Amino acid sequence: MHFRNRGSRKVSDEIPTASMADIAFLLIIYFMVTTTFAATRGLDWALPKDEDNPPLVEKEESVLVEIQAAGNLVVDGQPMQLDEILDYLEPKLERNPMKPVIIRPDANAPYGRMVDVFDELRRGQELGVEVKNISIPTQREIEAFWF
Amino acid sequence: MKLHQTKRQDAAIPTASMADIAFLLIIFFMVTVTFEVDKAQLTLPESQIRLEVPKKSAYVSVTEDGTIRVSSGEEISVVVPGPEDVVSFAASVVASDPTKVFVIKADTNTRYQLVDRVIDGLKQAKVETIFLLSGPEAMDEAGEAGGAAGGVG
Repeated sequence: MHFRNRGSRKVSDEIPTASMADIAFLLIIYFMVTTTFAATRGLDWALPKDEDNPPLVEKEESVLVEIQAAGNLVVDGQPMQLDEILDYLEPKLERNPMKPVIIRPDANAPYGRMVDVFDELRRGQELGVEVKNISIPTQREIEAFWF
Repeated sequence: MKLHQTKRQDAAIPTASMADIAFLLIIFFMVTVTFEVDKAQLTLPESQIRLEVPKKSAYVSVTEDGTIRVSSGEEISVVVPGPEDVVSFAASVVASDPTKVFVIKADTNTRYQLVDRVIDGLKQAKVETIFLLSGPEAMDEAGEAGGAAGGVG
C-alpha cells in the first residue's frame, strides 16, 4: 500500500516573518502618503467673552490703525510704515499700558495686511512694547457701537 | 596534507532587523500624522508669531475667490454658500463644545470684508478663541515696506 506521507516530513517550528517587513513597509507608505506636515500654526486671538456687552473703547483715547485698500497704513491720521508703529506706540503705552489699539482694515484691504499689523503689534512684547489691548472690530460692531 | 577547507559563506542579507526599523518608522508616522480636514489650496499670510493650533480645532477656510469651507475638525470641510452660514455652523459646534478653538485659514489676498464677516459670524456664535493660520515669515525684510516681495538678496 502506498502512503502519501511516507516518513515524517519535518514541519518548521518558526513563525514565518519574511512577509512582516512587506506589511510594515506597506503601512509606512500609507502613513507617509497621508501625513501632511500641515501648516498648523498661527496667531491666536482671544475674542471678548461677552459679546452683548463689549468692552467700551473710547475712540478718543485709543490708537486707530487704519489699513487702506492698497495696504498702506494710517495711524491716528498719519501715514506710517509697518515698522514705525511700535515706535509710535511706545511713549503712549508707557503712559497708559492698557491703551487700546484698534485695527480697522478697509473692506477691500488684503487680509494678509491685517495679519501683518496684528503680528507686528503682538511682536511688540518681545521688543519691550507690549500692546495689551488690541481690538479688531468687525463692520457690524463698528456700525453698532462706533459713534 | 590537509588543505584548509573553505568555509562557505551564506549570501543572504540579514533581514531580521528590517521589521524593527519598519515598525519604528510606522510609529513615527502614526504619531506625527494629522489628517488635514481642509484641503483648500491657498497662500497663507506670513507672521512671526506662530503658535501651535490645538488639535481637532474647527476650521473655516476662505480662498481668494471667496469660497468658504467649514469643518468641525472631525471630518473633511464642506463648502457653505456664504459668510452668513458660518454663524449657524459655528453655533452648532459651540453648542457641543463651548471651548472649541476655531481656525481661520484665509488666503493672504482675500478681501478683508469677507474675513470680517466670517469673524463676525464667529463672534456672534460666541466663539472664545480663534487662530489666524499663518505661514513662516520669509527672511526678506525688503519686501515689508512695499508690500510686494522684493527679491533683492
